[in-house]
Amino acid sequence: MRLFWELTKISFQRHLTYRAATVAGLVTNFFFGILRASIFVALYDLQTEVEGITLQGAITYAALGQALIGYLHMFSWFELMNTVYTGDIASDLLKPMNYFSFWLAQDVGRALVNFLLRGVTVMIGYAFLFDLYWPSGLTHISAIATSMVLSLLVSFSWRFLINLTSFWTPNALGILRFFFVLSWFFSGFLMPLRFYPDWVIRISYLLPFPHMMNTTMEVYLGVLQGPEIVLALLNQVLWIVGLVAAGQLVLRMGVRRLVILGG
Amino acid sequence: MAIISVQNLSKHFKVFKHHRGTLGAVRNLFSRQHTIVRAVDEISFNIQAGELVGYIGPNGAGKSTTIKMLTGLLVPTSGELLVNNLVPWKERQKYVSRVGAVFGQRTTLWWDLPVIESLSLLQYIYKIPADRFTANLKEFRDTLELDPFLDTPVRALSLGQRMRADLCAALLHDPDLLFLDEPTIGLDVVAKERIRQFIQKINRQRGTTVILTTHDLSDVEKLCQRVLIIDHGKLLFDGALNSLKERFSSKRELLVEFAEVYDEPIIDSAEISHVDGSRVSYLFSRDDISASELIGQLSAKYRIRDLEVREPEIEETIRRIYEERLLE
Amino acid sequence: MLQTLQLYRRLIGVQIRSQMQYRLSFFVEIAGTGLIALLEYASLALVFARFETLKGWTLGQVAFIFGLAELSFGVMDLFFSGFDPGYFGQFVRRGRFDQLLLRPINITLQVLGSKFMLRRIGKIAVGVGIVVSAVGMNPIDWTPLKVLLTGTVVVSQVAFFGGLFIIGATISFWTVESIEAINIFTYGGSMMISHPMHIFPTILRNFFTFIVPAIFLNYYPALYILELPDPFNMPAFAPFLAPLAGLWMLFMALVIWRFGIRHYQSTGT
Repeated sequence: MRLFWELTKISFQRHLTYRAATVAGLVTNFFFGILRASIFVALYDLQTEVEGITLQGAITYAALGQALIGYLHMFSWFELMNTVYTGDIASDLLKPMNYFSFWLAQDVGRALVNFLLRGVTVMIGYAFLFDLYWPSGLTHISAIATSMVLSLLVSFSWRFLINLTSFWTPNALGILRFFFVLSWFFSGFLMPLRFYPDWVIRISYLLPFPHMMNTTMEVYLGVLQGPEIVLALLNQVLWIVGLVAAGQLVLRMGVRRLVILGG
Repeated sequence: MAIISVQNLSKHFKVFKHHRGTLGAVRNLFSRQHTIVRAVDEISFNIQAGELVGYIGPNGAGKSTTIKMLTGLLVPTSGELLVNNLVPWKERQKYVSRVGAVFGQRTTLWWDLPVIESLSLLQYIYKIPADRFTANLKEFRDTLELDPFLDTPVRALSLGQRMRADLCAALLHDPDLLFLDEPTIGLDVVAKERIRQFIQKINRQRGTTVILTTHDLSDVEKLCQRVLIIDHGKLLFDGALNSLKERFSSKRELLVEFAEVYDEPIIDSAEISHVDGSRVSYLFSRDDISASELIGQLSAKYRIRDLEVREPEIEETIRRIYEERLLE
Repeated sequence: MLQTLQLYRRLIGVQIRSQMQYRLSFFVEIAGTGLIALLEYASLALVFARFETLKGWTLGQVAFIFGLAELSFGVMDLFFSGFDPGYFGQFVRRGRFDQLLLRPINITLQVLGSKFMLRRIGKIAVGVGIVVSAVGMNPIDWTPLKVLLTGTVVVSQVAFFGGLFIIGATISFWTVESIEAINIFTYGGSMMISHPMHIFPTILRNFFTFIVPAIFLNYYPALYILELPDPFNMPAFAPFLAPLAGLWMLFMALVIWRFGIRHYQSTGT
């Protein structure tokens, strides 16, 4: 466990040094957030509330999406894949630490930096521009926090799992890109999933993606209430358990393959 | 006539400071201080047409900055630079059409194309007359033995094959001047030797001026009559490799293991350079005393268990020059 | 000039042949770029049922400009992918740009010829599909002028987006770390242009009218073709400024690009 936090700390410091990247990310988040919020304003021209989400809620949704994007890092992560192709994975596998935890620790460090520098800043910034919806009450806030942590775990264990495809194919990059495009749509980043027709929603919830972002947003906006929240969080936990287990299984198969092929 | 003339050439860069640790990282977010690094500092030299010159120095010495200025990729901070009577960075297109370059492990060829297609594309790019192209290609196919892999995509070539193909590509347009950066890096002994012979041949038969930067000093030793040494941005040495050897490696080393530990086993004709218990090493120069005389003197005074005479090597000499800053 | 064109054709030919060698990943990537374009459009089209309009515009009207922008961006990306900021930054850092500078040919032409993203065909196809379905959804009263204007809009947008890519590439001479902010220029510009401009805040719209003249490249031509009223009372010739706006953008970008190269040659990277 000490090793875990040590790695987290190192990763935290490393990501703090990406000064220009952080500023650039913030500027980008603001710009695209404003565009997305404008689209919501235009859509709500004739409506006051759609599927339990008001215009204020939708704008908050756009802001939250931009605030969480750096923290969740859902749309690109090729680091593990790269170590497979460079061969650096060999020394990582030999470390006295579970391979999944080894990467998770670093991702937590990365996520913390992004949450503090980008997530919080983005929300404060948007608060000046728009009348955002804010959560109230300890229960609500702790539900949001829990869901956010779970979102990161779903996002990470999914990214870990798909990166493992690099054990089998030299073209994992294309496969990963394909999955990242899917998560872009089905996570609810583009639009709250509730706005889509029922058949799209049904497909979404067969996939892990809604649990990376949409759930947290729905908890935040108060669209889910009481037992619905508990159910949603449980659902996230189930996905984490499933994805982690799949990751361990696939990793074991991959390592066996790697050993047989001699790297 | 000098094909390259360099006068007080300097290149300075700004380098930003980084603070360490978590607090330091937070500070980096808000403040940035920079220092000026003199990558190349007031260097001057001339190179005559037809010379084959080695340009060496440790990592970060300013080698590649100099080469980048010579090839027109970088504009100097100050000083004058004339190559082929042109200012490289001002008249880039005109200048580079008379220059060839092979940069280390980076190929200039098209990765997914067969070698021959890359070469004929280069004919087009450099506007090489058909007869020159045919004659040159024929010559290089023989001397570099390109035929076995002429139709192979570049990505499938071995390092040595790729280097040969790149050399051919750099020379097809009959450049007056050839820049070579680490042309033998990663190659085995046989391949290295083949590349060296080729470089020498090009230099002798075609009169192509060659500037060679390398870490492999045996490249320099076997090829270059003249060597330039740069470190910390300053030109430390410009002259024949042999004179460098004579100046700094006239000292030979005698390693002696005595049968017992002597307090100070001094001898007049050699100086002690290192003592480790009963093991003592002496430096002596050929002019003062021969090895057998020295051993005779020592064994007359002390009991010797074992000994070894070491001749200085060029690698060792250069290393000493860098480490002890002998030339500054 | 003829020689330049021939050389360009050869360089592109090399790129195409190279990509064709990886058949499977080639087709997968075509499908991939198509999928991105399709999902982005779907995210808007699928929610329309619950909202009815986008500040007065129907799905068909939005689809018309959305499709034109997708199509044009895809075509641009075919020809200008050498300048793709995400790729070009690496290209410079790996010393590939230096290698081009060592060849006796115009550097801009070489960068243009250094990449040709054939896989963008997927995006282009989806763009065409969206435009075609939009034409079906709108009762457009086609005249020769409207057809000509539609074609001109595509070409002008290609020039416009190409300019954005070149500016983005130029910025990457200074920084790769900030590459994400360059996305504002490229993908931000394309997102603006694929939506009706009247939905954006006034400051943003003014910026994209008077400084970066994006509004003339899609919104105004669409107002003319779809016969919609102009909410901003621009002069009647505004819809026909598209080619000027596109060329202006490309021209400005090339000026900045030249400046960037000079900077690069004085600092290296």
